[in-house]
This record gives sequence, structure tokens and C-alpha cells, in this order.
Amino acid sequence: MDDPVAALIAKCAAQDRAAFRALYRDTSAKLMGVLLRMLKERAEAEDALQEVYTRVWLRAGRYDPAKGRGMTWLIAVARNLAIDRLRARPEARSDDGLDRVQDNAPRAETRLVAQGEARRMADCFATLDPDRAEAVRGAYLNGLSYADLAARHAVPLNTMRTWLRRSLLKLKECLEA
Amino acid sequence: MTDAPFTPREEDEALAAEYVLGVLNLAQRAEAEARLKRDPAFAALVAEWEDRLSGLNEGFAETPAPNLLPQIEARLFPKPVRRRRGGVLGWLGGATVAAVLALASIATFAPPRPELVATLATADNRLAYAVTHFGETLQVTRVAGVPAVAGQVHELWIIAPDAAPVSLGLLEDRPLLVTYPTPPAGYTFAVTVEPEGGAPNGVATGPVILTATVGGA
Repeated sequence: MDDPVAALIAKCAAQDRAAFRALYRDTSAKLMGVLLRMLKERAEAEDALQEVYTRVWLRAGRYDPAKGRGMTWLIAVARNLAIDRLRARPEARSDDGLDRVQDNAPRAETRLVAQGEARRMADCFATLDPDRAEAVRGAYLNGLSYADLAARHAVPLNTMRTWLRRSLLKLKECLEA
Repeated sequence: MTDAPFTPREEDEALAAEYVLGVLNLAQRAEAEARLKRDPAFAALVAEWEDRLSGLNEGFAETPAPNLLPQIEARLFPKPVRRRRGGVLGWLGGATVAAVLALASIATFAPPRPELVATLATADNRLAYAVTHFGETLQVTRVAGVPAVAGQVHELWIIAPDAAPVSLGLLEDRPLLVTYPTPPAGYTFAVTVEPEGGAPNGVATGPVILTATVGGA
């Protein structure tokens, strides 16, 4: 499959610094979008972006193109770092971002382009209870924790966890059907 | 979908999905990460979920990023450190070395002054540790924020370029003092969150919350 990002990551694994620069040029806007959306603060997002590309260079050898596209891997590295930082924040922090998340975040389904994989994704999300679909998207895109989701949907944390786990398995079933 | 309890296979699937989604709390996340390292089957489930949910990545809008490559490259590819006097000592005779060392120790008899080597801080400075060095001692002091929550601890690591992290100790209420030579430029300090008592087997398991490179930006 044609995947220029994957090709650049493979070159990084071979210590090609020019490829690393090209990778930053071609992918930093997307990763900045990920970090800014999840961390909310520009200074922190920029700091995290440096850490993400540092990890990308150091871990490039572990990327396996058979398991997914290059951009998917890069976004996973960025999301993991953002989630680690969000979870390490004092509790109050993740709550005060909630309102802004609700107001400013474009709803994911409006951004899902109606074709290919994304179309399939949207169709499968449509089979879930709307509240639960929204919880899955909120967690993925905004880095909400179970505690955040439980507060937002006004249900006990364990209930939220049961809902979400069932929804995720249902989603898997649908995507693989 | 039924309300029957999950089978072990479903439990693993759900945990992998929760990990990728990022909804777990810090302790559960650290546990999942530890499992990820030792259980290839679980790691494969996680990779599948990363791919499965990648359709949601459309929801992240692109935002132009400043050019941070200079800082990133300074971190990754530090300039070679200037050679110290060791090379000069190499060609001197043994007796001369002894005399030079004796002189040197007189010259440095005055108490050494602590020198700031690195600052480990979150972008908003809510949590910050200062790393100072004097004589042969590294001192790490928390200058902002609070220690890890009960049952967890902040652990300090030093990472030589291209090497595995080495633990320097646990960051608790009092400043951490470790015997350590001057950390060379390009070495990285990192703080992770570990279970009480520190990382089992000396291998970091928790999330990295702070990093700073000696002589870095």
C-alpha cells in the first residue's frame, strides 16, 4: 500500500536524519492538532510535540507497517503521551477543561468523511446508543477518563465502565462483520 | 450483545480497547503498560485496537506547528562533549600524575558550589524538580507541586544516549542525594510514576511525566 509516512519512519529507523526532518515537515501539523485538542494548552502541546518526535526517532525501529499505517502509529505515540500527561495531572485539572471541550470541539461525526474506513466507522458508531457512542468519541479525541465520563454523563463510574466495555466489544463486532 | 459476564478473551479485548481509548486511571494504565511489555498477545490486541479506532483520527484537525526541529535535534543529537583533561593525564608519568592530583585537590579544597544541571518541569510549572550537582553528589529537589499520590512514587532515571534508563532513586518528601559524576551533556533525566517502593526489577513501568536533557534547550 502506498504509505509515504511509513517509508519515512522506516528511514528514521535506519538513522536517516533528512527523513526525520521530512517526517516532521509532513506530519507535525496533524500531531500538533492531536496534542492541542487533548492537552488544551498551546505551551504544553508544543512541549509534548518535542517529546513525541523524540520518541518517534528512538522507537522508529519498532514500527511495523503490517500492523497499521504510518500516520496511525504516529498518532498513537502522540495520544499515548497526551493521555499519560492528562492522567498525571491533579484530579481537578481534567474537569475544568470539560466545558471548553463541549463548546469548542467539533463533533467527530461531522468530520468523518463519508467514504471508506471512516464511513464504516460512522456506520458502526450509529449502531451504538448515542450516549455511549459520544463517550467513546469523547475519550478518544479529548482524552476523557472514566472519571470524567462518569461525571459528564452523571452515572456511577462502574456503570460507565460496563457501558463502555460492552460498547467497545459491540463496535469491534460491527467493524469486523 | 448480552449481559453475561465477560469471557477471559473478552476481558482482554476490553482492556486493550480501554488502554487505547485512554480511559483508565493512572494506576490501571501503568498496569496495562507493564502487561504490554511482557505479553505479546496482549500487545497484538492493543495494536489491533489502534488500527481499528484509527477512523476517529479524522476528528483531529491539523494545526500548524512551529518549527521545533532545532530543539528536538539538540535533544537527540547532542554535540560531542569537549574532551576533559583525562587525555593530558594519559601521557604523563605516574609520579607526575600523583603530584598533579595532589595540587588539584589543594586547588579544589574550597567547598564546591552546587551547579544547576537540569530542571524537570511540566509546561505550566505545577510540578518541577531541580537537579543540582556539587562535588560528586547529585541533588534533586522538588521546587513545585506535590509528591505522587498514596501508593505511588515518582522515580528518577538517567538515560545515556542510546542506552536504557538507569534508576537514580525515588523522589519523596526529602531531596534525593545520589553519588554521581558530573552528568555529561546529552544525558537525559526522566521522572516516571511507579508503584510504591519503586519500579519492580529496576525497569520503568509507569508513564514518563517529566524529562530534561543536560545542556538541552
